[in-house]
Amino acid sequence: MKISYNWLKDYCKYDLSVEGLAESLTNAGLVVDTVNPVEDDFCLEVEVTSNRPDCLGFIGVAREVATIVRGKLDIPDVGYDTTDENINDITSVAVEDNELCQRYTARIIKDVKIGPSPEWMQKKISSIGLRPVNNIVDITNYVLMESGQPLHAFDLDRLSEGRIVVRRAKKDETMEAIDGSKCVLADDMLVIADAQRPVAIAGVMGGKDTEVSDATRNILLESAFFDPRSVRRVSRKLSLMSDSSYRFERRVDPECVDWASRRATKMILDIAGGQAVEGVIDQNYLEDNKMNVSLKMSRLNSLLGLQIEKNAAKDILEHLQFKINSETEDGFSVDVPSFRGDVYREIDLIEEVARIHGYDKIPVKSSIGVKLTQDNRFDKITERTKNVISGLGFNEVVTDSIVGDSQERHGTIWSETGSLKILNPIRQDENLLRKALVHNLLRVKKHNQNYGVEKTDIYELSKVYLPQEDDQLPEEKECLCILGEDGYLALKGAIETMLSHLNIADSLESVHFDFGLFSSEKSAELRLGDRVLGFIGELSREVISDYDFRSKPCVAELDFNVLLDKTNLEDSYLKIPSLPIVSRDFAVVSDEKVTWAEIKGCIESLKIDYVDNIEFFDVYRGKQIEKGSKSIAFRVIFRADDKTLKSEEVDILQEKILTSLGNSLGVSLRA
Amino acid sequence: MQERLSEIQNQAKGDLAKAESLEEVETIKTRYLGRKGGVITEIIKAIPGLPPEQRSSIGKSANALKQEISKWIEDAKGTLAGKEQASDSKKMFDLSIPGEHKPYGHKHPLTQTIDDIKEIFKKLCFDIEYGPEVEHEYYNFDALNIPADHPSREDFDTFYLGNKRLLRSQTSTVQIRVMEKTKPPIRMIAPGKVFRPDTVDARHASMFHQIEGLMVDEGVSFSDLKYVLTLFAQSYFGQDIKMRFRPSFFPFTEPSAEIDISCSLCKGKGCSVCSQSGWVEVLGAGMVDPNVFDTVGYDSEKYTGFAFGIGVERLTMLKYGIDNIRLFFENDLRFLSQF
Ligand SMILES: [Zn+2]
Repeated sequence: MKISYNWLKDYCKYDLSVEGLAESLTNAGLVVDTVNPVEDDFCLEVEVTSNRPDCLGFIGVAREVATIVRGKLDIPDVGYDTTDENINDITSVAVEDNELCQRYTARIIKDVKIGPSPEWMQKKISSIGLRPVNNIVDITNYVLMESGQPLHAFDLDRLSEGRIVVRRAKKDETMEAIDGSKCVLADDMLVIADAQRPVAIAGVMGGKDTEVSDATRNILLESAFFDPRSVRRVSRKLSLMSDSSYRFERRVDPECVDWASRRATKMILDIAGGQAVEGVIDQNYLEDNKMNVSLKMSRLNSLLGLQIEKNAAKDILEHLQFKINSETEDGFSVDVPSFRGDVYREIDLIEEVARIHGYDKIPVKSSIGVKLTQDNRFDKITERTKNVISGLGFNEVVTDSIVGDSQERHGTIWSETGSLKILNPIRQDENLLRKALVHNLLRVKKHNQNYGVEKTDIYELSKVYLPQEDDQLPEEKECLCILGEDGYLALKGAIETMLSHLNIADSLESVHFDFGLFSSEKSAELRLGDRVLGFIGELSREVISDYDFRSKPCVAELDFNVLLDKTNLEDSYLKIPSLPIVSRDFAVVSDEKVTWAEIKGCIESLKIDYVDNIEFFDVYRGKQIEKGSKSIAFRVIFRADDKTLKSEEVDILQEKILTSLGNSLGVSLRA
Repeated sequence: MQERLSEIQNQAKGDLAKAESLEEVETIKTRYLGRKGGVITEIIKAIPGLPPEQRSSIGKSANALKQEISKWIEDAKGTLAGKEQASDSKKMFDLSIPGEHKPYGHKHPLTQTIDDIKEIFKKLCFDIEYGPEVEHEYYNFDALNIPADHPSREDFDTFYLGNKRLLRSQTSTVQIRVMEKTKPPIRMIAPGKVFRPDTVDARHASMFHQIEGLMVDEGVSFSDLKYVLTLFAQSYFGQDIKMRFRPSFFPFTEPSAEIDISCSLCKGKGCSVCSQSGWVEVLGAGMVDPNVFDTVGYDSEKYTGFAFGIGVERLTMLKYGIDNIRLFFENDLRFLSQF
């Protein structure tokens, strides 16, 4: 809300520079965002939090200033003279929906002279960015800004039958608003109507037909209390915002409704002439819920960590117009003014005292002791995993959980059930919660390729959302997705390195798996013991052309929960062998169908104590090897804990291995 | 024979003195010490044929000479090698060629910020907690004292999934979940993703990260809040920053505060980052509202506490002077590899 430095002085004689005012307001909770000079004045943009609608008017802000400087608040006089004619003889107000309209007042001023408002008024309202229109409109705006209570002036003679009906709109009823927009109304919208048609959308905007014009002579002045939710809903639905709707939405002061009406009437008489008709129509359905709240000083001081005197607290609250109505040794109780609907508990009073006293006066001290924090296994394993993967040269990415339907295009990984849908997405084509990470990583790869980054080694460790039955929350599965550019075996190697750093005892098993995302040859389900760890593969040609990739990335998506369950965080130490090893290199020829896992398994099944390790070298196909066969090279390392192995001993073991490989897999030494 | 040896000694010395290249030295070496036909080698080979009384003395002298010449040859090689390297520019190793690089992977800057913040709060004995990102309305609103008609519940402030489910718009949800299952005292922080249907621009993203904090015990006061958050801010931003606690409003805390630190860019003088105010807002905080305690079944007369929220993107942007929040989620490697 915009505040004029000079205008504010009408309500409180403060002795603060504009900088001082801005700082004081900010420190009391009314943040001053900007200060702009306007001629010989300043315009302050004040941020008013949603709990403080009382500060949406100059008097409310002045009340804060008066409290800060412990000065006096000057509230203008609203007394005026009337004619003998009674308002009830001229008009009537029928409130048909008293839930949406909880108070409606009307006053009538006759024979006004429409013209420009006086210069001092034009200057004031211009200083906060309002455009002067005519004296009547300017006065209603002036009082709105002064009190925070919106007002509306109708041209009485243009109201059909000269009366007001507050009712819900009929379906598809229309009205042209003051700003020229044509509104199509619905039956959940409250309108102010005359005998025939809507003449204003309650609390939002007046109608063009009945607005005050140069020809206007008689005025019906509306001041009301409309239901905040209803005003907000209608204003959003019609995309119509106004200074009025802004205040009604935040709840106006029920007691100010009449005051503001009197104030405006007095100003109209002073400025535009005319006579006020006697009386007021005041349809008031508001419940009188005066709050009485008590405060214990012991509670206040212990909660804030302060030592503040009772009298100082009383002084602050009295300046804020709370009325002290009883007192005990440790505290007192107060009547809450009607404009402070946000205050109804002791804690609310404590806050009032704290913010005026000043947060800066609360000491920075503590007696909180030490405490042992709980170990967080998830964090430890996450951190170790990221350290290893990053250490291997992969960059961590963070991508959006909200995705489009491209995630379904090449088959799903974790769930066949349809994705969870956002009912109110920003973009209609991105309205799903992701069920896998891989598609997001492909998009990151694509983005980088577009900007000339060719090698994109990346990973993400994050959640995917798997729908459950009915209205249950989804399963939020932590997944680890890695995209590598150095081929299938390099990616598999990275995963193996990670598993070894997590001290996972189970060995990694790869089982061929047909999956639309991956090439038919290099595509596998990864298993650890009896659990499915995830999937790894080289992108299929279709996916590569779909994304227009210039390289052939490999991707793995893993279930991080499996890693969480299997990780052993206790690192142990194995003694380094002191006796020398003996190693033998093998080059064998086998049928294409024989896998390395089978060869290794065959050697392991011999259970030779001295076999320390079996290391794969490479596979060779080519010249000296028959079609349909391949040559596999590997090394077996022999070691004994208690003696140095003799060459002859190892010869025998080597022979045993070759025989076994020959018998069970038809593998022979390469010639 | 001894004469012959001293003759050889002089000759070898002369030859080596004249040698101008390593190749020449090699030739000289072969001439004198070569396995086949080397002058010294031949003499040593011939020793067994000498009269017995001469064998020992000639043998000694011949071996001594062999040693001596070997040493001269090595010396000559050393000298010439130095000279040749200096003169032979074709073979010079270019020391200015850059080193070879192993790939180095970076953790995402947001991860690094979260890790830094976790580290600070661990020192202050705070536990780390997590909660679901898809939540019931109850945890995101009702339990946090946010009334049914509060604007933050509207469609343009929260993503809805139907059946009273939503994408959490704040990590404060974790406060409630932790208090539901734990009795005081509590000291915890909860990092995580939150979602809001903001129009995406340089300052707003529909997904971002927050860290929620909560401390509850008997006798926790506003000065404890100031103490803990001052320690945090000094630890994260530096000892010499200035702080400002000013009143604000959150439904689930009362009194509430927003905390500004002096702008590190302009040192409080005013610049575009701090909107000319010299201050930047970094934290929201407050004393836990008694209504929240009532909801989770804590005795609000006995226990008090404070809560706070930190915007992870905001802190990261301030720390590095990043001016566009979208950079975090585009994942351009030219950006990520700077951290
Ligand atoms: Zn600055």
